[in-house]
Amino acid sequence: MASTDPILHFFTIMESQSGVIVKETPKLDLDLYIANYRGRTCFDRLLLIGRSSVPLCVDALKAAISEAKKGKDVQRYRDAWECIRIAAPNDPESQLDTAWIDNTEKANKMETARLEAELKQYKNNLVKESIRAHIVGIAKHLIGIVLQRRDWPSVLANVGKMLTGGMSDEEQKAHQPFQKLVTGIANLHSEKFYEAAKNFLEVGDPSICQGCNDIASSNDVATYGGLLALASMDRSELQSRVLDNSSFRNYLELEPHIRKAVSMFVNGRYSACLDILESYRADYLLDIHLQPHLPAIFSAIRNKCIVQYFIPFSCVTLESMNKSFAKPGESLESELITMIRSGVLRARINTIDKLLVAVSTDDRAEMQAKGLEMAKNYEREAIERIRRMNIAAADLEVKGTRKGVGNAMSSISGETWFDDTRRQLSQGESSAG
Amino acid sequence: MDQALATCLAFPPEEPLNDDVAYDQAIQAHLLKLTKLLKDPPVPLSQYGGQLLELTDPEYNSLSYLAVLHSLCVPNLAGPREFVLVKLVKFLLGFDPRQIRYAGSHLSEILTAVCNGSLLPPAAAVEVVSAAILKIDPTGSMFTSTHLQLAKLAYNTNNIDPVLKVVEKNIVFYPGMANSKRPAMLCDMTLSPSVYIHKDTGFTNPVKATSVLEYDLLSGMMFCSKRDWEKAHAAFERILTFPTRDGGCSKIMAEAYKKWVLVSLLSKGKAIPIPQYTGPAAAKAYQILGKPYKEVASLFDTTNAEELRSEVEKSSQIWQDDQNVGLMKEVLSAYQEWQIKNLQKVFSKISIAEIRQQTKSAQTGTILNSDDDIEALIHNMIISNSLKGVLEKNDDGTVFLTFLPSSTVLSEAEYAQELAKTAVQLKALEPIFKTTNERLGTSREYIKHLIKDQKRAADKSELDPTMGFESHVDDEDLMGGVTSTA
Repeated sequence: MASTDPILHFFTIMESQSGVIVKETPKLDLDLYIANYRGRTCFDRLLLIGRSSVPLCVDALKAAISEAKKGKDVQRYRDAWECIRIAAPNDPESQLDTAWIDNTEKANKMETARLEAELKQYKNNLVKESIRAHIVGIAKHLIGIVLQRRDWPSVLANVGKMLTGGMSDEEQKAHQPFQKLVTGIANLHSEKFYEAAKNFLEVGDPSICQGCNDIASSNDVATYGGLLALASMDRSELQSRVLDNSSFRNYLELEPHIRKAVSMFVNGRYSACLDILESYRADYLLDIHLQPHLPAIFSAIRNKCIVQYFIPFSCVTLESMNKSFAKPGESLESELITMIRSGVLRARINTIDKLLVAVSTDDRAEMQAKGLEMAKNYEREAIERIRRMNIAAADLEVKGTRKGVGNAMSSISGETWFDDTRRQLSQGESSAG
Repeated sequence: MDQALATCLAFPPEEPLNDDVAYDQAIQAHLLKLTKLLKDPPVPLSQYGGQLLELTDPEYNSLSYLAVLHSLCVPNLAGPREFVLVKLVKFLLGFDPRQIRYAGSHLSEILTAVCNGSLLPPAAAVEVVSAAILKIDPTGSMFTSTHLQLAKLAYNTNNIDPVLKVVEKNIVFYPGMANSKRPAMLCDMTLSPSVYIHKDTGFTNPVKATSVLEYDLLSGMMFCSKRDWEKAHAAFERILTFPTRDGGCSKIMAEAYKKWVLVSLLSKGKAIPIPQYTGPAAAKAYQILGKPYKEVASLFDTTNAEELRSEVEKSSQIWQDDQNVGLMKEVLSAYQEWQIKNLQKVFSKISIAEIRQQTKSAQTGTILNSDDDIEALIHNMIISNSLKGVLEKNDDGTVFLTFLPSSTVLSEAEYAQELAKTAVQLKALEPIFKTTNERLGTSREYIKHLIKDQKRAADKSELDPTMGFESHVDDEDLMGGVTSTA
């Protein structure tokens, strides 16, 4: 009891900071999971799990502390310590290791001074040539940094830079996994799901991708690529780009459930597909890149499932919709209303006979209405243009005072007047033609 | 008296005047005689004017009739009131539009007197002036100073129905347009109204921008009182997009903008962006001055009735100052109707009870008290044709609404007919377009340009040391060049 209380306290604080909290036990094994990565991302991932997952909290935080102490970043150690201090106050890790901090800070300072001195020296010697030779390496390094700073536009910009250097096909191939991977992550965070999905699907050679595990693991590529493809592609595209994609198949083998979910979707077994994804929700929520976007991704997939489910029917009972998609005892109606309002689902609800009815688009009627509307607009526009020309000709425009509001204002308005008349005249000409 | 009568009856002559030239000559001559008679009558006209009116035909001898009537009505009514006024009405409803083109100022003066309200009761005055305006210009496309007088009279005395046929016309011509050509013969019935209606022919006085704006504002408000929100919307839009220059914007434009925002809610169910061709300075002014209105508008499209209600209540002083209390009330009462209409985007059939739960009244901020109330509301909407649907009853007694498709498929023939109708309307624009084109095409500035252009073209054929550079620049300048002369 005594040990759960601080955790409860800790997550109350996390909740007040509007952090995501995952109560369910994920399927992942923390040690195996983190062994997939190297470098700074390990700590980031551990800290995120520690701050989000109730069952894994203390273990993850402890691992984060030991990870932080392996490195030189004092601030990281402090961040992790701040958490464990509250979550597990009785553990030895909750004691601040001031000796380590002092030593590391001292060492860091010396190292910084040395590097700055070196930098100055290099600058003075103008060894730019050798810098240029390593442009790809530098770009990669920069991307690693901006990625950690979560500066997504800069990631994309630096990837662009990386590509501008003349590269042989061989080199290009070698860099492709890294480049696609970081672009995908940046696109994911910019909520461009379709682009991101394409990036992950094109990562390419798994053995090279393995080397990028300071950013993401091959398992992650499978998960990101599969989920985002489900969220943004239609059935035929899923089949051709995901299931029939020979290079991506290597990744899917690492996460068979994703493969299963995708093929369920393609085969029209939507509720089974959703069930699989739902059972992995906790795992996805503990992923550093998926966490902020998971609700959007899941709801996109769900919407797509509902829309796809409904396509072959002109009319479905709400009961069967509920059976397929709603949680037991709940009704789908409000979700359907939201989907219809936002235009995702072209259907109407019949609450009397409890039906979801497809909107029968009468192309003919639509075309007719459009035609008549266009003719009407044309007439109205023609009249308005002639009217405006004649108002100008009769010198009846409402005129401003040039002195009135100040010089800046009057010069702006003077300009716009010219623009205005010009537009009218050119409109007049176009209506003449 | 006999001599005067003979003069009056002399036009039109018995033998028909075959062409415009003969007509013009004859009527000019007649005009001289009439002028002499009026200027220098042997006996004052007031004594036997009544008899003359009795013996001449207002529809046949319109010009003479007008001359006599004018002298009896302007500046003050002379002769037996009842008698003259009956004649006046008869004349205004029946005059020959061709003859009176030669006495525009006399007719205008009479119309002005009628509009001042001193002669006829307002209802009759609006009726006859509207008729007269459309007799002078059946297309109704030319604005005159009389238009504004009429609109003021109609709005202020609440005689709106008879004036609708005038204010519903699309006005595209305005007095004082530069380079309007003088007509060779006023009697030419193919003339565009912009040619024979002119301050020189007396049919209108010079007008200012404010007159045009005021006329549209009055039109808009009249459409509002007829609850014709579509047309009111168009009228207000004409004002707020009125051409401006040098950062101009007037008070009427800002007033119209406020009304326009509210009327958009009533006619379209939501706020719509202002047209792109709005003057930029005006657009900026609307943004600041119309803020409380925009706030109301942004709430109208939401399901938050309570907030809409309190927002409207909060600024009640503003609505009062702007004289928009009535419109605002309309907005509040229309809110729930639009909510119900919007349900058809989601539902095909829905029970009355559910509608009651899902829509609120903006007048109270809550749902209606009973299902009967909502049923009555929907019933009225269906009757007034603002909602397409039917109310039905289930076996278990549930009353529900079935929405019907808004557009029905037309047969090929019907569709062709509809299109043909539009084509005819577009065709009707042709004379307007032609007149405008002619006027612009013959303007001094345009011709100057044309000559310059031709010269340049001629020069170009000779050896050009600048390798065509200059002409290239000037080509581009052609667009801007026309502008600078405007």
